[in-house]
Amino acid sequence: MAKHDTPLLDELESGPWPSFVSDIKRQAEKNPDCWDILGQLELSYKEKITHWKHGGIVGVFGYGGGIVGRYSDLPKMFPGVEHFHTVRVNQPASKYYSTENLRGICDLWEKHGSGMTNMHGSTGDMVLLGCRTEALEPFFWDLTHGMGQDLGGSGSNLRTPANCLGQSRCEWSCYDTEETCHHLTMHYQDEIHRPAFPYKFKFKFSGCPNDCVAAIARSDVAVIGTWRDDIRIDQAAVKEYVAGNFASNGGSHADGDWGAFDIQKEVIDLCPTECMWMEGGELKIDNAECTRCMHCINVLPRALRPGAQQGASICVGAKAPILDGAQFATLIVPFMEISADNEFENLIDFIETIWDWWMEVGKNRERVGETMQRVGLPTFIKVMGIEPIPQHVREPRSNPYVFWQDEEVPGGFERDVQEFRKKHAA
Amino acid sequence: MALSDDELKAAIIEKAKKAPKPQLYIKDFYKCDPDTKPRAIKNMANLLVREGELMFWSSGSTTMYARPDRIKNEEGDEGVN
Ligand code: HEM
Ligand code: HEM
Ligand code: SF4
Ligand code: SF4
Repeated sequence: MAKHDTPLLDELESGPWPSFVSDIKRQAEKNPDCWDILGQLELSYKEKITHWKHGGIVGVFGYGGGIVGRYSDLPKMFPGVEHFHTVRVNQPASKYYSTENLRGICDLWEKHGSGMTNMHGSTGDMVLLGCRTEALEPFFWDLTHGMGQDLGGSGSNLRTPANCLGQSRCEWSCYDTEETCHHLTMHYQDEIHRPAFPYKFKFKFSGCPNDCVAAIARSDVAVIGTWRDDIRIDQAAVKEYVAGNFASNGGSHADGDWGAFDIQKEVIDLCPTECMWMEGGELKIDNAECTRCMHCINVLPRALRPGAQQGASICVGAKAPILDGAQFATLIVPFMEISADNEFENLIDFIETIWDWWMEVGKNRERVGETMQRVGLPTFIKVMGIEPIPQHVREPRSNPYVFWQDEEVPGGFERDVQEFRKKHAA
Repeated sequence: MALSDDELKAAIIEKAKKAPKPQLYIKDFYKCDPDTKPRAIKNMANLLVREGELMFWSSGSTTMYARPDRIKNEEGDEGVN
């Protein structure tokens, strides 16, 4: 029986789509505390103001992350959500679960918390919604000792790394995203569980430029698989596509009537760098101009494959729109070999160079992408010890000024700024 | 010359006691010793949490450090996850 009247929320059940309101009502039949979520939310809809308080000191012993403290500011009215802490549980790489494991997690959460989950949070973790402070330690004991699983990151920690399913199922993956994600997760356990930085820091791993974990939009360091040689072409398969014998896009759009497949219209004309053409019945690619967008490979998966010299591009500095709007990551290293043979040494060196600099120069609550923006890309790549290359340039020069360092000029130059400022105040 | 571990500990605790606001950012502790690398200062602050001299205070998105006796309740600040 509903504990509160929720006419505004009930409207959200009237559409054809699944409704979180129905989900919470169903869970409330099992766990009556959940009625108070609906009650408090209805009040917020009416008053147009949140009744969640947040921040504080909740956590489990020895950890400084993984649990996000939340409280109702109307605990008398809604005692079921007086405490409503969120727990982040580190997801398995690529989110492979057994149903046994998922049932185990759900049972554990019904025992210690509200029973409500959010699979998955945008960080990648399993998100378990709503428990009381005193439930945290018993839950944590059962999670770690009973299930062999651990909390993820929150606060100023390294956030739970995430990856696409990579070589476990996808033929396009240009490096082993699972091994990389797992290795770095284990390597940086301290940074995940205890605050380490002026603000959050994320890395994510996609096996190819399709970027199925949206690393480029969501991570401070995005590791995106790529190749440095030529797209591999099977001309016999190209002919089969042209003849209509193979379904384009692996058949994903086969339910609509799009007419006969037209390689000119659907592939060549859509290549963003216009680097493809047909010649004597064969598909040609000027690979030096290819920007590795994956479009042609996605449409003709039986004919085209990424090249054989594989690695990853590293982009830095994405963030969500809290201050200054959303920002994609910027390409910093066009090609890096990503290999378990050297325990991902180049990637780890790269990440730690960023950390050493950002911890010093970054302001409180400033993501590394904002720090980069503040100092400018030329300064950032200098810090990283990277030579500027054409791929760093977004567009032809819009800044007419060139600044030379003395070591870049034959003979160099000396300049005593203090002496100069005596005559010319800043 | 970087401070010794004990001197650094003492300086961090002193700073956490005296700061106008009870919660401090990790960067506030960098000033305790400009000659120690930020990551070493972070490690020392986290050690002090384990020893009970400091505690974490988190909004969900940002984590700060405080002396336990200066934190009375569980009021939040602005901020997101
Ligand atoms: C072929 C001849 C010239 C070329 C190619 C040239 C080119 C340029 C360029 C590229 C800029 C920078 C524009 C910008 O900030 O985006 C500029 C600015 C300027 N030029 Fe020229 N310029 C020429 C002749 C002159 C002459 C003859 C004068 C003065 C007698 C002059 C005075 C200026 C001034 C004062 C600015 C600064 C404008 C501002 O910052 O608003 N230029 N010029
Ligand atoms: C080696 C000698 C000089 C150098 C390197 C130089 C460089 C520059 C630069 C970089 C600017 C742009 C500043 C800015 O936009 O913030 C500028 C502006 C300007 N310069 Fe020079 N300049 C020199 C000599 C002169 C001389 C001798 C004159 C005039 C007699 C002059 C007149 C101007 C004017 C009118 C502007 C535009 C100021 C404005 O737009 O507000 N410059 N100069
Ligand atoms: S990002 Fe690329 S490699 Fe990874 S799953 Fe998606 S298509 Fe496959
Ligand atoms: S991957 Fe993209 S840019 Fe490269 S050839 Fe194919 S369509 Fe063109």
